[in-house]
Formats: sequence, C-alpha cells, structure tokens
Amino acid sequence: MKKIHIYEPAMCCSTGVCGPSIDPELLRMSFVMNNLKKTDIEAERFNLTNEPNAFVENEAINQLLMSEGMDALPATFVDGELLCKGKYPTNAQFSQWSGLSEEELVQKPKVRLSLKGDA
Amino acid sequence: MERFTRSQFPDTPFLFFTGKGGVGKTSVASSLSIAIAGEGKKVLLISTDPASNLQDIFGQTLSNTPTKIEGVDNLFALNLDPEQAAQHYKEQMVGPYREKLPEVVLQNMEEQLSGACTVEIAAFNEFAKLLTDRSVIENFDTIVFDTAPTGHTLRLLQLPSAWSTFLDDNTTGTSCLGPLKGLEPQREIYKEAVERLKSADQTALMLVTRPDVNPLKETARASNELFEIGIQNQILLVNGYMKDLNSNDEMEKAFIARQIKALELIPKELKQFEQYYLPFVPYSLSSMERMQAWMTDQDITHENEIEKGMTIPEVEEMIADYLERKPKIIFTMSKGGVGKTTVASYIALRLAEEGMHVHLTTTDPAAHLNWTFGDDKIKNVTVSRIDPKSEVANYEAEVLAKASETMNEEGLAFVQEDLASPCTEEIAVFRAFANVVENHKDEIIIIDTAPTGHTLLLLDATEAYHREISRSQGEIPLAVSNLLPRLRDANYTSVAIVTLPEATPVFEATRLQQDLQRAGLSVNWWVVNQTFSSIETTSPTLIQKQQAETKWFEEIKSFSNNQFVAIPWVKTPPVGTKGLHELKGEKNK
Repeated sequence: MKKIHIYEPAMCCSTGVCGPSIDPELLRMSFVMNNLKKTDIEAERFNLTNEPNAFVENEAINQLLMSEGMDALPATFVDGELLCKGKYPTNAQFSQWSGLSEEELVQKPKVRLSLKGDA
Repeated sequence: MERFTRSQFPDTPFLFFTGKGGVGKTSVASSLSIAIAGEGKKVLLISTDPASNLQDIFGQTLSNTPTKIEGVDNLFALNLDPEQAAQHYKEQMVGPYREKLPEVVLQNMEEQLSGACTVEIAAFNEFAKLLTDRSVIENFDTIVFDTAPTGHTLRLLQLPSAWSTFLDDNTTGTSCLGPLKGLEPQREIYKEAVERLKSADQTALMLVTRPDVNPLKETARASNELFEIGIQNQILLVNGYMKDLNSNDEMEKAFIARQIKALELIPKELKQFEQYYLPFVPYSLSSMERMQAWMTDQDITHENEIEKGMTIPEVEEMIADYLERKPKIIFTMSKGGVGKTTVASYIALRLAEEGMHVHLTTTDPAAHLNWTFGDDKIKNVTVSRIDPKSEVANYEAEVLAKASETMNEEGLAFVQEDLASPCTEEIAVFRAFANVVENHKDEIIIIDTAPTGHTLLLLDATEAYHREISRSQGEIPLAVSNLLPRLRDANYTSVAIVTLPEATPVFEATRLQQDLQRAGLSVNWWVVNQTFSSIETTSPTLIQKQQAETKWFEEIKSFSNNQFVAIPWVKTPPVGTKGLHELKGEKNK
C-alpha cells in the first residue's frame, strides 16, 4: 500500500478561518486527500499543533526541520521518501503517485450545503 | 431602583459575576462573600484576575487551592490566573517536544496557542474542575466566582458533536478546537459544569455595570449572549450610583444628573431582571473594613492622602505632538468602557481644525455615524463606520461557501463556531480597516479599535506562509499585506491607549501595551479619560475621588514613560463640536 504523508506547520485553523482568508491551497489539499482516501492509498496530514509527535517519530522530517527550519513545511513523503518540500505537491505529482487522474483528484465530495442556522 | 442589601442576595450555591474591567466585579464579589460568611455559611471566593487584587484586599498570598482568610470566619479564597492556566496548558502541549523539535518549530506551536481562545478555554478548564470537584462542592455552602465564562467558550463546549466524530477524524481542518483537543479527556466534566451553570437552582449570574450609557449597553449584550445559552437566572447590579444629598456643588449635581439620564435609557433586555444599585464610593475598596462598611451602609473614615501636587498634562499636548509628527494612522485603543470613541473623535476634530484632512472610522456598535459629532458638519473630516456584525457576516458567508465544498455537517458546525470567536471578529474588522486605509491614502486615518498583538502575529505568519506555499500573495487581500509592515513603522502609525485613573483599567492598559509590543508596535500616548483631578469642585465626595486618583496617575506616569495626557470628566456626554471642546481642560479653554 502506498503511503503519502504530508507534514504541515502549526495553524490556528487550517481552514484559514482565523487567517485573513480561506486558502485555496488548503482547500485543494482537502479535496485531494479526501479522494485519495477512497483508494487503497494511505493519505495522511500531520499538523504541528495537533500531532507534534508525528514530527518527532519521523526522523527524516525531524532532521529536515533541524537543518532548514519552518520553511521546509509543508513537506510530503511518499513511502518514506521526501519528494516535495516548502509547498504542497501539484495535482500532477499526486496523479503520478496515485494513478488517479487529476480530475478524479479534485472531485468535490457530495455534502449537504450550508447548515447555517440549525447548528 | 432599590439598594442591594442582604435580603436580595440570591441563595444559589454558585454565584458568578460578569462585567467589563473597572465596573467593580471584584469589590462586589468580595463584599458579598464577607457578608455571607458573616452569617455562618462557609464561602469560597474564586478570583480569576491575573493580578488578583484579592491578595491586596485580604493582605494574603493566594494560590490555586482554598486559603483561609484571616480575620473572617468561614471565608476561603482561591486565585486562578487564566494567563497562567493558558501558559500551563501551552507547556503541557509543547513541553514534551522540547529538545526533540527545533526551536523555530516550538515557537510556531506556541504562537498558535497564544490566542484569546486558548486563554478562555484554559480558564474554563480550571472553572470546570472546581465546579465538578466533589471535595470542593461538599465543603462549601456558597462558591463565588468573580468572573463568568464567555458565550463563545460555552457554545464551543456545547456543540453536540464536539466530543465525538469531529475531533476523532478531523482531517479537513483544525480550528479553535485545536486548543480544545488537549482537554478532550475531561469531556464529561465540561458537560456537568455547563449543566450546573444553566440550572437556576444552582447558579445566579450577577451582571455588574455602571450607571453610564455605554457600560449599560455592553452589559445588555453580554447578558443576552449568556441568556441564549441558557444562563437565565440573572440579576443586574448597578455599581457606583451616587445618592443625591442636595449638595450645592455644580459638579456633583451634574454627576448625579448624568447617571439618572443614563438609567432612564436602560436597554430593554435588562428590564426583565431584578435590578439593584450599590452606592458610589470615592475611594478604592481595598480593605475588609471598607467593604463591610460599604455593604452595610456604615459611615467609614475617609481616605486622606496628601496631594502630591503633580501637574497633569492636558490632551492638547498630544494634539501638538501629532501636528508636528503627522502620523498617517492613529489608533485609540482600550479594553472597552473607557471612552475610546470619544477620544478618537476629539483627535479627529482638533486635527481637522488645524487644517489637516482627517478620516475617522469607528467600530463602536454603540456609535451611530457622526454620533460623537452630533449634527455638526465639520470641515476636513470624513467619517465611516465599520460594522463588526456585518463584516463578520460577509466573512462568514465567504468562508462557509468555501468550507461546504469539502466539509461534512460536523465540520461545518465547527467552522461556524470558530467564526463566532473573538479572533475572527478581529480579523474581519482588520480586513475592513485595511480597505479603509487603502481608500483614504491622502488623509490621516483615525480608528477607534486596534488589532491585538496576537492577530497581527497571526496575519504575519499566515502571510509569510501563503507567500511560501503559493509563491504569490495567495488570497491575502492586497490591502492587508500592504498595511502590516506600516503598522510597525513608528513614523507611520501611532497608538494611543485610553484608560481611567482606576486600578483595573490601568492594569488592563499595561497588558495591552505589552501585547502590542510583542507584535512590534509601539505605544506613543496614554490618555487618561474622565479624570476628576482636573476639575474644580467643592463636593467632599469628589475631592476624595481626586485624591484616590493620585496613586493611579503616579503609576500611569511610570508605565507610559511620562507620555500621558488627561481628559477631565465633563458634565454632559461629550457630543458635537461644542461638547468635544469641553474635553480640552481648563487652561486651554
């Protein structure tokens, strides 16, 4: 089983809600990761705030942070090999790794729209 | 309105006090506790003031376990410092990774855990532990908290899905719940604590306010928010009401008239609750004897400080400085209830009168457009209003539209609650403010709200991050990224902190100053509003008030590095050109 692991910096909210705007890159990542999960690929994101332990356990990411600091994040490992750092992988890269087409990767999941008012 | 006396004390086991800094929450809570303990009930008084003046009042060091108060039978006190709780919580999250992760990485984690939400939630965690601790509950008849949790914290804890699915398999985004996650093991405790708060048999909420227009409005808002969550057993306490003793002093008469007028305009939301007043005292209630006397209406010996003869600089000194240095942006900021909108309007008016082109923008929900200027048209001034509510609504619509593309219902419920957080409102307002700056480049811009240090650091970090990952400005509005560096430029941006010559407002002002310094902004001026020291009066009460202010002026002088000015208390609310000119003080008239 292929493993795609992405290590991300600490974000107050990775939705960007607490930032100045919603980040389209983060949104794209949500789509891609969701769609990858439907396949037999192990697709995981590790956020520094919630899962600092993941950054300690993975020696490669730990080393990377020691030498390059925060600029190295986000960093993507495919089957343990660092293939992308300082930015999120492109859809073309994901496609190459997963065998899914770029279209399949960014397909929107079906969810009920706004539930504003009844939360 | 009746005076608050023993017979009006609620007899629930839990009493919570809420109200803005400086309204006298701690004084009322302590006096009440002393009075109840005096009747043989065992009382625990819990303070959450970071610089607890309980320690000064009782002359004892307090900790986070109940300490017996010397000299009062049955009274115990305990001090919870929310900043310390947040610090502790942060350390709990970050500590295990010291030595294991590089320093820059730890710093990044720490800043993300420095928001208002983390402090609030860490503080609630401490509350909840006490509220559900059998050994505490069974040991005391009455537990008095000198502060109450906010609506945002309570809603966050109440989201039904909070503890189930979202936290377990949240892959689409962390949120204000990020900080909450570390507290997950206590979920049952929170549930019980919230139930206890909502029960009218268990809890009474005391709304403490002052007989003044804006504090009453702010109280109505806080009351409403907590009422909607289910905390409905509320009582209104108007603190600092001055009895009319038919004095001949013009200032004293005006002081009373202003209070009566404000109480006539009491917001309708507050009318459903029982209302009581507590009398004005011109000295600080810093000892047990004074507090006991205050509750029971005994006469007490007055404070007789010798006046130190300090000259108090008037507000025109600050105006002269602005005219000379010509900053492009002037912020007036404070923790609410001390008149920052009035100060912003005064600066705008005076700079305009001196021939500068000024744009004044306000976020004060109590202020109507042109409110402080009345109907007067003023040359060289344009005015706009940023409505935090509609800015948040716009932002919310934008965020929810995008979030609903990827999130399920639980996820969306969380995003929605995040949007109700204080950080979000600040961000939304900051975006609107950045647009105002962009559109009024040729004018001096004066704004009556400033972002907190945390917001600035957050924007900064996000901006750097966006630049990094997308090799562009991402979706950061250009206006925002243009503005950030300028705020740190002392020639471009000037900050004035507004305060009152009283304990809590001064303390809050020093915290604001530190917070801004953390983000690289410097404070130029402290403005001490509503001072009695600079008025002429023969009223013995007001003369005592003047004497009590001396101590705070000394403190302000030192905290502000001698960069402070004072504005006198005025007989009528300072509205319109004429009203604002009253703020100048005696020698500039």
